[in-house]
Amino acid sequence: MTQFTDALTSASKTGAFPDAQEKPFLSGAAEPRNPQTLPPALEVKGVSKSFTRRRRTTPVLDGVNLTVGRGEFVSLVGPSGCGKSTLFHIIGGLTLPDKGSICMNGKEVTGQRGEISYMPQQPALFPWRTIEDNVLLAGEIRGLPRAGARETARRWLQRIGLGGFEQAYPHMLSGGMQQRAAFLRALLAPQELMLLDEPFSALDALTRGEMQRWLLELWEENRRSVLFITHSIEEALLLSSRIYVFSGRPGSVLHTVDVPFPRPRRDEITDDPEFLRLRRRLTDWMREEQAKSRK
Amino acid sequence: MRSYWSQVWPPLVAVVLVLGGWQLAVSLFHIEAWILPGPAAIAREAAGNSSGLREHTAATLRLTLIGFPIGTGVGLIVALLLHLLPGLKRAVYPLLILSQNIPTIALGPLLIIWFGFGLLPKIVLITLVCFFPVAVAAMGGLAQTDRVMLNYMKMAGASKWQIFSKLELPGSLPSLFSGVRISATYAVMGAVVAEWIGSDKGIGYYMLLQKAAYRTDRVFVAIVIVVLLSLTLFAVIALLERWLVRWKPGKPT
Repeated sequence: MTQFTDALTSASKTGAFPDAQEKPFLSGAAEPRNPQTLPPALEVKGVSKSFTRRRRTTPVLDGVNLTVGRGEFVSLVGPSGCGKSTLFHIIGGLTLPDKGSICMNGKEVTGQRGEISYMPQQPALFPWRTIEDNVLLAGEIRGLPRAGARETARRWLQRIGLGGFEQAYPHMLSGGMQQRAAFLRALLAPQELMLLDEPFSALDALTRGEMQRWLLELWEENRRSVLFITHSIEEALLLSSRIYVFSGRPGSVLHTVDVPFPRPRRDEITDDPEFLRLRRRLTDWMREEQAKSRK
Repeated sequence: MRSYWSQVWPPLVAVVLVLGGWQLAVSLFHIEAWILPGPAAIAREAAGNSSGLREHTAATLRLTLIGFPIGTGVGLIVALLLHLLPGLKRAVYPLLILSQNIPTIALGPLLIIWFGFGLLPKIVLITLVCFFPVAVAAMGGLAQTDRVMLNYMKMAGASKWQIFSKLELPGSLPSLFSGVRISATYAVMGAVVAEWIGSDKGIGYYMLLQKAAYRTDRVFVAIVIVVLLSLTLFAVIALLERWLVRWKPGKPT
Protein backbone atom coordinates (compact mmCIF):
# COMPACT_ATOMS: atom_id res chain seq x y z
CA MET A 1 0.00 0.00 0.00
CA THR A 2 2.95 2.31 0.38
CA GLN A 3 2.90 3.20 -3.27
CA PHE A 4 -0.49 4.86 -2.90
CA THR A 5 0.43 6.73 0.18
CA ASP A 6 3.49 8.05 -1.65
CA ALA A 7 1.38 9.25 -4.54
CA LEU A 8 -1.06 10.80 -2.15
CA THR A 9 1.39 12.77 -0.14
CA SER A 10 3.05 14.12 -3.22
CA ALA A 11 -0.32 14.84 -4.79
CA SER A 12 -1.60 16.69 -1.76
CA LYS A 13 1.56 18.76 -1.69
CA THR A 14 1.32 19.85 -5.29
CA GLY A 15 -2.44 20.36 -5.52
CA ALA A 16 -5.28 18.68 -7.31
CA PHE A 17 -3.88 17.68 -10.69
CA PRO A 18 -0.20 18.47 -10.95
CA ASP A 19 1.74 18.15 -14.16
CA ALA A 20 2.04 14.46 -14.75
CA GLN A 21 5.45 14.44 -16.35
CA GLU A 22 7.19 15.42 -13.17
CA LYS A 23 5.58 12.65 -11.21
CA PRO A 24 7.50 9.50 -10.42
CA PHE A 25 5.82 6.37 -11.69
CA LEU A 26 3.51 5.21 -9.00
CA SER A 27 3.79 1.56 -9.90
CA GLY A 28 7.53 1.45 -9.70
CA ALA A 29 8.13 3.72 -6.74
CA ALA A 30 10.12 1.21 -4.69
CA GLU A 31 11.79 -0.51 -7.63
CA PRO A 32 14.39 0.39 -10.25
CA ARG A 33 13.51 3.58 -12.07
CA ASN A 34 13.44 2.32 -15.59
CA PRO A 35 10.28 0.33 -16.23
CA GLN A 36 11.63 -1.00 -19.54
CA THR A 37 14.05 -3.34 -17.80
CA LEU A 38 11.30 -5.00 -15.78
CA PRO A 39 9.38 -7.97 -17.15
CA PRO A 40 6.02 -6.93 -18.60
CA ALA A 41 3.06 -6.66 -16.25
CA LEU A 42 1.09 -9.03 -18.45
CA GLU A 43 1.92 -11.39 -21.28
CA VAL A 44 -0.77 -13.39 -23.03
CA LYS A 45 1.00 -16.10 -24.97
CA GLY A 46 -0.81 -17.99 -27.73
CA VAL A 47 -4.06 -18.34 -25.87
CA SER A 48 -6.78 -20.37 -27.58
CA LYS A 49 -10.13 -21.35 -26.20
CA SER A 50 -13.23 -23.02 -27.56
CA PHE A 51 -16.48 -23.94 -25.92
CA THR A 52 -18.44 -27.09 -26.56
CA ARG A 53 -22.18 -27.00 -26.31
CA ARG A 54 -24.44 -29.80 -27.49
CA ARG A 55 -21.52 -31.49 -29.25
CA ARG A 56 -20.82 -28.36 -31.29
CA THR A 57 -17.47 -26.78 -30.72
CA THR A 58 -17.23 -23.03 -31.12
CA PRO A 59 -13.75 -21.55 -31.16
CA VAL A 60 -13.78 -18.28 -29.25
CA LEU A 61 -10.13 -17.28 -29.06
CA ASP A 62 -7.46 -18.32 -31.54
CA GLY A 63 -3.83 -17.85 -30.63
CA VAL A 64 -4.05 -14.50 -28.90
CA ASN A 65 -0.74 -12.79 -28.13
CA LEU A 66 -0.53 -9.51 -26.32
CA THR A 67 1.67 -7.67 -23.87
CA VAL A 68 1.10 -4.94 -21.33
CA GLY A 69 4.38 -3.41 -20.22
CA ARG A 70 4.93 -1.92 -16.80
CA GLY A 71 3.06 1.36 -16.53
CA GLU A 72 1.54 0.96 -19.96
CA PHE A 73 -2.04 1.75 -20.94
CA VAL A 74 -3.08 -0.82 -23.51
CA SER A 75 -6.49 -1.01 -25.15
CA LEU A 76 -8.26 -3.82 -26.86
CA VAL A 77 -10.93 -3.02 -29.44
CA GLY A 78 -12.95 -5.45 -31.50
CA PRO A 79 -16.39 -6.23 -32.83
CA SER A 80 -18.95 -7.50 -30.35
CA GLY A 81 -18.64 -11.19 -29.66
CA CYS A 82 -14.91 -11.32 -30.37
CA GLY A 83 -14.24 -13.17 -27.14
CA LYS A 84 -13.00 -10.22 -25.11
CA SER A 85 -14.89 -11.28 -22.02
CA THR A 86 -13.55 -14.81 -22.35
CA LEU A 87 -10.04 -13.40 -22.59
CA PHE A 88 -10.64 -11.39 -19.42
CA HIS A 89 -11.91 -14.47 -17.65
CA ILE A 90 -8.79 -16.34 -18.70
CA ILE A 91 -6.51 -13.54 -17.53
CA GLY A 92 -8.46 -13.34 -14.28
CA GLY A 93 -8.07 -17.07 -13.75
CA LEU A 94 -11.79 -17.88 -13.89
CA THR A 95 -11.41 -19.98 -17.05
CA LEU A 96 -8.52 -22.13 -18.19
CA PRO A 97 -7.28 -21.71 -21.78
CA ASP A 98 -7.13 -24.77 -24.05
CA LYS A 99 -3.71 -23.67 -25.24
CA GLY A 100 -1.25 -20.98 -24.24
CA SER A 101 -0.41 -19.29 -20.99
CA ILE A 102 -0.70 -16.10 -18.96
CA CYS A 103 2.39 -14.54 -17.41
CA MET A 104 2.53 -11.60 -15.05
CA ASN A 105 5.80 -9.94 -14.13
CA GLY A 106 7.62 -12.83 -15.72
CA LYS A 107 5.84 -15.47 -13.67
CA GLU A 108 3.34 -17.91 -15.08
CA VAL A 109 -0.06 -17.43 -13.44
CA THR A 110 -2.39 -19.32 -15.80
CA GLY A 111 -5.57 -20.19 -13.89
CA GLN A 112 -4.57 -18.28 -10.78
CA ARG A 113 -7.06 -15.87 -9.31
CA GLY A 114 -6.45 -12.69 -7.40
CA GLU A 115 -3.51 -11.51 -9.54
CA ILE A 116 -5.34 -8.61 -11.15
CA SER A 117 -7.41 -5.64 -10.16
CA TYR A 118 -10.68 -5.75 -12.01
CA MET A 119 -13.25 -3.15 -12.90
CA PRO A 120 -16.37 -4.61 -14.50
CA GLN A 121 -18.72 -3.03 -17.00
CA GLN A 122 -21.33 -2.24 -14.38
CA PRO A 123 -20.00 -0.57 -11.25
CA ALA A 124 -20.94 -3.69 -9.22
CA LEU A 125 -20.56 -1.84 -5.96
CA PHE A 126 -21.93 -3.87 -3.07
CA PRO A 127 -25.21 -2.18 -2.12
CA TRP A 128 -24.87 -3.03 1.59
CA ARG A 129 -21.47 -1.42 1.89
CA THR A 130 -20.89 2.28 2.19
CA ILE A 131 -18.84 3.88 -0.57
CA GLU A 132 -15.80 3.87 1.70
CA ASP A 133 -16.19 0.18 2.57
CA ASN A 134 -16.69 -0.65 -1.10
CA VAL A 135 -13.45 1.04 -2.01
CA LEU A 136 -11.65 -0.94 0.70
CA LEU A 137 -13.03 -4.28 -0.47
CA ALA A 138 -10.16 -5.35 -2.73
CA GLY A 139 -7.55 -4.90 0.00
CA GLU A 140 -9.81 -6.63 2.47
CA ILE A 141 -10.07 -9.69 0.24
CA ARG A 142 -6.29 -9.93 0.07
CA GLY A 143 -6.14 -9.69 3.84
CA LEU A 144 -4.12 -6.47 3.93
CA PRO A 145 -3.83 -4.60 7.21
CA ARG A 146 -6.64 -2.12 7.68
CA ALA A 147 -4.55 0.44 9.46
CA GLY A 148 -4.06 3.39 7.18
CA ALA A 149 -6.13 1.94 4.35
CA ARG A 150 -9.26 3.76 5.50
CA GLU A 151 -7.36 6.98 5.80
CA THR A 152 -5.99 6.56 2.27
CA ALA A 153 -9.42 5.70 0.89
CA ARG A 154 -10.93 8.81 2.45
CA ARG A 155 -8.30 11.07 0.97
CA TRP A 156 -8.76 9.52 -2.45
CA LEU A 157 -12.53 9.85 -2.28
CA GLN A 158 -12.01 13.49 -1.45
CA ARG A 159 -9.77 13.86 -4.49
CA ILE A 160 -12.05 12.22 -7.01
CA GLY A 161 -14.96 14.42 -5.97
CA LEU A 162 -16.71 11.94 -3.71
CA GLY A 163 -15.86 13.73 -0.48
CA GLY A 164 -18.91 13.75 1.77
CA PHE A 165 -20.17 10.50 0.26
CA GLU A 166 -17.92 8.19 2.28
CA GLN A 167 -20.80 6.90 4.36
CA ALA A 168 -23.40 6.95 1.57
CA TYR A 169 -24.74 3.75 0.07
CA PRO A 170 -24.15 3.20 -3.67
CA HIS A 171 -27.78 3.69 -4.74
CA MET A 172 -27.63 7.28 -3.55
CA LEU A 173 -24.98 8.10 -6.17
CA SER A 174 -25.36 8.87 -9.87
CA GLY A 175 -24.06 6.42 -12.46
CA GLY A 176 -20.92 8.44 -13.10
CA MET A 177 -20.14 8.72 -9.40
CA GLN A 178 -20.66 5.01 -8.90
CA GLN A 179 -18.28 4.33 -11.77
CA ARG A 180 -15.69 6.58 -10.17
CA ALA A 181 -16.01 4.71 -6.89
CA ALA A 182 -15.66 1.41 -8.75
CA PHE A 183 -12.55 2.75 -10.45
CA LEU A 184 -11.09 3.82 -7.13
CA ARG A 185 -11.79 0.34 -5.77
CA ALA A 186 -9.71 -1.04 -8.63
CA LEU A 187 -7.02 1.61 -8.21
CA LEU A 188 -6.59 0.96 -4.49
CA ALA A 189 -6.43 -2.79 -5.01
CA PRO A 190 -3.03 -4.24 -4.13
CA GLN A 191 -2.56 -5.85 -7.56
CA GLU A 192 -0.46 -3.88 -10.03
CA LEU A 193 -2.29 -4.72 -13.25
CA MET A 194 -5.72 -3.21 -13.78
CA LEU A 195 -8.27 -4.82 -16.09
CA LEU A 196 -10.96 -2.36 -17.14
CA ASP A 197 -13.83 -4.03 -18.95
CA GLU A 198 -15.73 -1.38 -20.95
CA PRO A 199 -16.08 0.70 -17.82
CA PHE A 200 -17.90 3.60 -19.45
CA SER A 201 -20.22 1.80 -21.84
CA ALA A 202 -23.27 2.21 -19.63
CA LEU A 203 -22.87 5.99 -19.23
CA ASP A 204 -24.46 8.73 -21.30
CA ALA A 205 -22.23 10.49 -23.85
CA LEU A 206 -21.60 13.59 -21.77
CA THR A 207 -20.69 11.72 -18.60
CA ARG A 208 -18.62 9.35 -20.66
CA GLY A 209 -16.47 12.13 -22.10
CA GLU A 210 -16.04 13.57 -18.65
CA MET A 211 -15.01 10.21 -17.24
CA GLN A 212 -12.49 9.67 -20.06
CA ARG A 213 -10.74 12.94 -19.30
CA TRP A 214 -10.87 12.15 -15.62
CA LEU A 215 -9.36 8.70 -16.13
CA LEU A 216 -6.71 10.13 -18.45
CA GLU A 217 -5.59 12.68 -15.88
CA LEU A 218 -5.61 10.20 -13.04
CA TRP A 219 -3.75 7.57 -15.00
CA GLU A 220 -1.08 9.91 -16.35
CA GLU A 221 -0.36 10.73 -12.77
CA ASN A 222 -0.25 7.15 -11.51
CA ARG A 223 0.92 5.08 -14.48
CA ARG A 224 -0.48 1.79 -13.42
CA SER A 225 -0.37 -1.03 -15.95
CA VAL A 226 -3.80 -1.10 -17.57
CA LEU A 227 -5.57 -3.39 -20.00
CA PHE A 228 -8.65 -1.58 -21.21
CA ILE A 229 -11.48 -3.09 -23.24
CA THR A 230 -13.68 -0.76 -25.22
CA HIS A 231 -15.94 -0.53 -28.22
CA SER A 232 -15.08 3.10 -28.78
CA ILE A 233 -12.13 3.72 -31.08
CA GLU A 234 -11.93 7.34 -30.04
CA GLU A 235 -11.74 6.36 -26.40
CA ALA A 236 -8.96 3.88 -27.13
CA LEU A 237 -6.95 6.45 -29.13
CA LEU A 238 -7.36 9.12 -26.50
CA LEU A 239 -6.29 6.98 -23.57
CA SER A 240 -3.87 4.30 -24.65
CA SER A 241 -0.26 3.88 -25.67
CA ARG A 242 -1.02 0.80 -27.73
CA ILE A 243 -4.17 -0.65 -29.26
CA TYR A 244 -4.82 -4.25 -30.17
CA VAL A 245 -7.50 -4.65 -32.81
CA PHE A 246 -9.32 -7.94 -32.51
CA SER A 247 -10.90 -9.93 -35.30
CA GLY A 248 -14.43 -11.31 -35.09
CA ARG A 249 -15.01 -14.75 -33.65
CA PRO A 250 -12.74 -16.63 -33.17
CA GLY A 251 -10.92 -13.65 -31.71
CA SER A 252 -7.27 -13.05 -32.47
CA VAL A 253 -5.07 -9.99 -32.72
CA LEU A 254 -5.50 -8.54 -36.19
CA HIS A 255 -3.49 -5.34 -35.90
CA THR A 256 -1.33 -3.65 -33.31
CA VAL A 257 -1.35 0.13 -33.36
CA ASP A 258 1.13 2.26 -31.41
CA VAL A 259 -0.48 5.57 -30.53
CA PRO A 260 2.13 8.26 -31.03
CA PHE A 261 0.70 11.18 -29.06
CA PRO A 262 2.85 12.46 -26.21
CA ARG A 263 1.64 12.70 -22.65
CA PRO A 264 0.13 14.42 -20.84
CA ARG A 265 -2.57 14.37 -23.46
CA ARG A 266 -5.11 17.06 -23.90
CA ASP A 267 -8.60 16.76 -25.25
CA GLU A 268 -7.51 18.70 -28.35
CA ILE A 269 -5.62 15.74 -29.77
CA THR A 270 -8.97 14.48 -31.05
CA ASP A 271 -8.71 17.27 -33.69
CA ASP A 272 -5.15 16.34 -34.67
CA PRO A 273 -4.90 15.13 -38.33
CA GLU A 274 -2.91 12.11 -37.17
CA PHE A 275 -5.66 11.26 -34.69
CA LEU A 276 -8.28 11.50 -37.42
CA ARG A 277 -6.20 9.37 -39.75
CA LEU A 278 -5.77 6.65 -37.14
CA ARG A 279 -9.42 6.78 -36.26
CA ARG A 280 -10.34 6.37 -39.93
CA ARG A 281 -8.08 3.38 -40.34
CA LEU A 282 -9.23 1.64 -37.17
CA THR A 283 -12.86 2.28 -38.03
CA ASP A 284 -12.36 0.69 -41.43
CA TRP A 285 -10.77 -2.39 -39.88
CA MET A 286 -13.57 -2.72 -37.39
CA ARG A 287 -16.23 -2.29 -40.06
CA GLU A 288 -14.65 -5.02 -42.15
CA GLU A 289 -14.59 -7.37 -39.20
CA GLN A 290 -18.14 -6.58 -38.23
CA ALA A 291 -19.26 -7.27 -41.80
CA LYS A 292 -17.35 -10.56 -41.84
CA SER A 293 -18.82 -11.75 -38.58
CA ARG A 294 -22.32 -10.99 -39.82
CA LYS A 295 -21.97 -13.40 -42.72
CA MET B 1 -44.70 12.81 11.56
CA ARG B 2 -47.46 13.91 9.23
CA SER B 3 -46.58 11.26 6.63
CA TYR B 4 -46.57 8.72 9.45
CA TRP B 5 -50.14 9.65 10.36
CA SER B 6 -51.28 9.55 6.76
CA GLN B 7 -50.01 5.95 6.75
CA VAL B 8 -51.64 4.98 10.01
CA TRP B 9 -55.09 6.52 10.02
CA PRO B 10 -56.76 4.61 7.14
CA PRO B 11 -56.35 1.16 8.74
CA LEU B 12 -57.26 2.64 12.15
CA VAL B 13 -60.51 4.04 10.80
CA ALA B 14 -61.26 0.70 9.15
CA VAL B 15 -60.77 -1.18 12.43
CA VAL B 16 -62.95 1.27 14.35
CA LEU B 17 -65.70 0.99 11.72
CA VAL B 18 -65.65 -2.81 11.81
CA LEU B 19 -65.80 -2.88 15.63
CA GLY B 20 -68.60 -0.28 15.64
CA GLY B 21 -70.60 -2.22 13.06
CA TRP B 22 -70.11 -5.41 15.00
CA GLN B 23 -71.28 -3.85 18.26
CA LEU B 24 -74.26 -2.27 16.52
CA ALA B 25 -75.28 -5.54 14.85
CA VAL B 26 -75.05 -7.47 18.10
CA SER B 27 -77.35 -5.04 19.96
CA LEU B 28 -79.72 -4.43 17.03
CA PHE B 29 -80.37 -8.09 16.25
CA HIS B 30 -80.25 -9.25 19.90
CA ILE B 31 -77.63 -11.90 19.24
CA GLU B 32 -77.06 -14.20 22.21
CA ALA B 33 -73.75 -13.65 23.93
CA TRP B 34 -72.78 -17.36 23.69
CA ILE B 35 -73.10 -17.17 19.91
CA LEU B 36 -71.42 -13.83 19.29
CA PRO B 37 -70.55 -11.36 22.03
CA GLY B 38 -70.00 -7.70 21.13
CA PRO B 39 -66.59 -6.05 21.33
CA ALA B 40 -67.58 -4.19 24.49
CA ALA B 41 -68.46 -7.43 26.27
CA ILE B 42 -65.18 -8.98 25.16
CA ALA B 43 -63.21 -6.01 26.42
CA ARG B 44 -65.05 -6.13 29.75
CA GLU B 45 -64.29 -9.82 30.12
CA ALA B 46 -60.63 -9.25 29.30
CA ALA B 47 -60.32 -6.45 31.86
CA GLY B 48 -62.15 -8.42 34.56
CA ASN B 49 -59.93 -11.50 34.22
CA SER B 50 -56.63 -9.83 33.55
CA SER B 51 -54.51 -11.54 36.23
CA GLY B 52 -55.39 -15.07 35.08
CA LEU B 53 -54.92 -14.08 31.46
CA ARG B 54 -51.53 -12.60 32.14
CA GLU B 55 -50.27 -15.96 33.36
CA HIS B 56 -51.55 -17.78 30.29
CA THR B 57 -50.18 -15.09 28.00
CA ALA B 58 -46.78 -15.28 29.65
CA ALA B 59 -46.71 -19.06 29.13
CA THR B 60 -47.54 -18.74 25.44
CA LEU B 61 -45.08 -15.91 24.99
CA ARG B 62 -42.35 -17.95 26.61
CA LEU B 63 -43.06 -20.92 24.38
CA THR B 64 -43.04 -18.67 21.31
CA LEU B 65 -39.81 -16.96 22.27
CA ILE B 66 -38.08 -20.31 22.73
CA GLY B 67 -39.53 -21.96 19.65
CA PHE B 68 -39.24 -19.10 17.17
CA PRO B 69 -35.47 -18.56 17.38
CA ILE B 70 -34.88 -22.32 17.26
CA GLY B 71 -37.17 -22.69 14.26
CA THR B 72 -35.56 -19.75 12.47
CA GLY B 73 -32.10 -21.07 13.29
CA VAL B 74 -32.93 -24.54 11.98
CA GLY B 75 -34.35 -22.94 8.83
CA LEU B 76 -31.16 -20.96 8.32
CA ILE B 77 -28.93 -23.97 8.88
CA VAL B 78 -30.98 -26.08 6.48
CA ALA B 79 -30.75 -23.32 3.87
CA LEU B 80 -26.98 -22.93 4.25
CA LEU B 81 -26.38 -26.68 4.11
CA LEU B 82 -28.52 -27.15 1.03
CA HIS B 83 -26.95 -24.10 -0.60
CA LEU B 84 -23.44 -25.44 -0.07
CA LEU B 85 -24.39 -28.95 -1.19
CA PRO B 86 -26.51 -28.64 -4.33
CA GLY B 87 -26.70 -32.42 -4.69
CA LEU B 88 -28.28 -32.72 -1.26
CA LYS B 89 -30.65 -29.91 -2.15
CA ARG B 90 -32.04 -31.80 -5.12
CA ALA B 91 -32.51 -34.89 -2.96
CA VAL B 92 -34.04 -33.27 0.09
CA TYR B 93 -36.13 -30.43 -1.33
CA PRO B 94 -39.20 -32.58 -2.14
CA LEU B 95 -39.06 -33.99 1.39
CA LEU B 96 -39.06 -30.47 2.80
CA ILE B 97 -42.18 -29.61 0.85
CA LEU B 98 -43.77 -32.87 1.94
CA SER B 99 -43.07 -31.99 5.58
CA GLN B 100 -45.23 -28.91 5.17
CA ASN B 101 -48.20 -30.91 3.95
CA ILE B 102 -48.51 -32.94 7.15
CA PRO B 103 -51.26 -31.32 9.21
CA THR B 104 -49.87 -29.94 12.45
CA ILE B 105 -52.91 -31.19 14.35
CA ALA B 106 -52.19 -34.75 13.26
CA LEU B 107 -48.53 -34.47 14.08
CA GLY B 108 -49.08 -33.10 17.61
CA PRO B 109 -50.33 -36.31 19.26
CA LEU B 110 -47.51 -38.27 17.62
CA LEU B 111 -44.95 -35.86 19.01
CA ILE B 112 -46.41 -36.36 22.46
CA ILE B 113 -46.16 -40.12 22.09
CA TRP B 114 -42.50 -39.75 21.10
CA PHE B 115 -41.35 -36.94 23.37
CA GLY B 116 -43.75 -36.92 26.32
CA PHE B 117 -45.68 -33.95 27.70
CA GLY B 118 -42.82 -31.60 28.43
CA LEU B 119 -41.42 -28.66 26.57
CA LEU B 120 -39.66 -30.70 23.89
CA PRO B 121 -42.63 -31.80 21.72
CA LYS B 122 -43.95 -28.25 21.71
CA ILE B 123 -40.64 -26.81 20.60
CA VAL B 124 -40.39 -29.48 17.90
CA LEU B 125 -43.85 -28.53 16.68
CA ILE B 126 -43.08 -24.81 16.52
CA THR B 127 -39.78 -25.55 14.79
CA LEU B 128 -41.54 -27.65 12.18
CA VAL B 129 -43.94 -24.80 11.50
CA CYS B 130 -41.28 -22.06 11.51
CA PHE B 131 -38.28 -23.43 9.69
CA PHE B 132 -39.83 -23.83 6.27
CA PRO B 133 -40.53 -20.21 5.30
CA VAL B 134 -37.08 -19.21 6.54
CA ALA B 135 -35.32 -22.04 4.71
CA VAL B 136 -37.10 -21.40 1.41
CA ALA B 137 -36.60 -17.64 1.57
CA ALA B 138 -32.93 -17.94 2.54
CA MET B 139 -32.21 -20.45 -0.22
CA GLY B 140 -33.91 -18.18 -2.72
CA GLY B 141 -31.84 -15.24 -1.55
CA LEU B 142 -28.58 -17.18 -1.64
CA ALA B 143 -29.30 -18.45 -5.14
CA GLN B 144 -29.94 -14.95 -6.46
CA THR B 145 -26.41 -13.71 -5.99
CA ASP B 146 -25.47 -11.03 -8.50
CA ARG B 147 -23.31 -12.57 -11.24
CA VAL B 148 -21.21 -9.48 -11.86
CA MET B 149 -20.36 -9.09 -8.18
CA LEU B 150 -19.60 -12.80 -7.99
CA ASN B 151 -17.23 -12.46 -10.94
CA TYR B 152 -15.61 -9.48 -9.29
CA MET B 153 -15.04 -11.44 -6.09
CA LYS B 154 -13.51 -14.36 -7.97
CA MET B 155 -11.24 -12.13 -10.04
CA ALA B 156 -10.10 -10.40 -6.87
CA GLY B 157 -9.09 -13.78 -5.51
CA ALA B 158 -11.77 -14.13 -2.84
CA SER B 159 -11.97 -17.46 -1.03
CA LYS B 160 -15.20 -19.46 -0.84
CA TRP B 161 -15.77 -18.23 2.68
CA GLN B 162 -15.16 -14.60 1.69
CA ILE B 163 -17.61 -14.94 -1.19
CA PHE B 164 -20.16 -16.34 1.21
CA SER B 165 -19.70 -13.90 4.06
CA LYS B 166 -19.11 -10.74 2.06
CA LEU B 167 -21.43 -11.32 -0.88
CA GLU B 168 -23.93 -14.16 -0.67
CA LEU B 169 -25.06 -13.76 2.92
CA PRO B 170 -25.58 -9.99 2.98
CA GLY B 171 -27.18 -10.18 -0.44
CA SER B 172 -29.71 -12.72 0.77
CA LEU B 173 -30.83 -10.69 3.81
CA PRO B 174 -33.84 -8.94 2.21
CA SER B 175 -35.17 -12.25 0.94
CA LEU B 176 -34.36 -13.98 4.24
CA PHE B 177 -36.34 -11.42 6.20
CA SER B 178 -39.47 -11.94 4.14
CA GLY B 179 -39.31 -15.54 5.35
CA VAL B 180 -38.57 -14.62 8.97
CA ARG B 181 -41.58 -12.28 9.05
CA ILE B 182 -43.86 -15.08 7.94
CA SER B 183 -42.47 -17.54 10.44
CA ALA B 184 -42.83 -14.95 13.22
CA THR B 185 -46.60 -15.08 12.76
CA TYR B 186 -46.52 -18.85 12.35
CA ALA B 187 -44.59 -19.18 15.60
CA VAL B 188 -47.43 -17.80 17.75
CA MET B 189 -49.94 -20.04 15.99
CA GLY B 190 -47.61 -22.98 16.44
CA ALA B 191 -47.37 -22.28 20.15
CA VAL B 192 -51.17 -22.14 20.52
CA VAL B 193 -51.61 -25.42 18.65
CA ALA B 194 -48.89 -27.01 20.77
CA GLU B 195 -50.80 -25.97 23.87
CA TRP B 196 -54.03 -27.45 22.53
CA ILE B 197 -52.37 -30.79 22.23
CA GLY B 198 -51.05 -31.13 25.71
CA SER B 199 -50.60 -28.43 28.28
CA ASP B 200 -52.01 -27.09 31.51
CA LYS B 201 -51.36 -23.44 30.83
CA GLY B 202 -51.10 -20.98 27.98
CA ILE B 203 -53.55 -19.23 25.69
CA GLY B 204 -54.16 -22.40 23.68
CA TYR B 205 -55.13 -24.32 26.81
CA TYR B 206 -57.31 -21.42 27.98
CA MET B 207 -59.05 -21.36 24.61
CA LEU B 208 -59.92 -25.07 24.78
CA LEU B 209 -61.22 -24.72 28.30
CA GLN B 210 -63.49 -21.78 27.48
CA LYS B 211 -64.75 -23.36 24.30
CA ALA B 212 -65.87 -26.39 26.27
CA ALA B 213 -67.76 -24.06 28.64
CA TYR B 214 -69.39 -22.13 25.78
CA ARG B 215 -67.72 -18.93 27.01
CA THR B 216 -67.55 -17.42 23.55
CA ASP B 217 -66.51 -14.06 24.97
CA ARG B 218 -63.43 -15.64 26.53
CA VAL B 219 -62.55 -17.46 23.31
CA PHE B 220 -62.58 -14.07 21.65
CA VAL B 221 -60.35 -12.65 24.37
CA ALA B 222 -57.89 -15.46 23.59
CA ILE B 223 -58.06 -14.68 19.88
CA VAL B 224 -57.33 -11.02 20.52
CA ILE B 225 -54.30 -11.94 22.63
CA VAL B 226 -52.96 -14.27 19.94
CA VAL B 227 -53.37 -11.54 17.32
CA LEU B 228 -51.61 -8.98 19.51
CA LEU B 229 -48.72 -11.35 20.22
CA SER B 230 -48.30 -12.06 16.50
CA LEU B 231 -48.40 -8.39 15.62
CA THR B 232 -45.82 -7.50 18.25
CA LEU B 233 -43.40 -10.17 17.13
CA PHE B 234 -43.95 -9.12 13.51
CA ALA B 235 -43.22 -5.49 14.39
CA VAL B 236 -40.02 -6.41 16.22
CA ILE B 237 -38.82 -8.37 13.19
CA ALA B 238 -39.77 -5.52 10.86
CA LEU B 239 -37.74 -3.09 12.97
CA LEU B 240 -34.75 -5.43 12.98
CA GLU B 241 -35.04 -5.74 9.21
CA ARG B 242 -35.20 -2.00 8.79
CA TRP B 243 -31.96 -1.68 10.66
CA LEU B 244 -30.11 -4.56 8.99
CA VAL B 245 -31.29 -3.81 5.46
CA ARG B 246 -31.00 -0.04 5.76
CA TRP B 247 -28.88 0.05 2.60
CA LYS B 248 -31.78 -0.93 0.37
CA PRO B 249 -32.92 1.73 -2.08
CA GLY B 250 -36.24 3.28 -1.18
CA LYS B 251 -35.87 2.64 2.53
CA PRO B 252 -35.48 5.72 4.69
CA THR B 253 -32.26 5.56 6.68
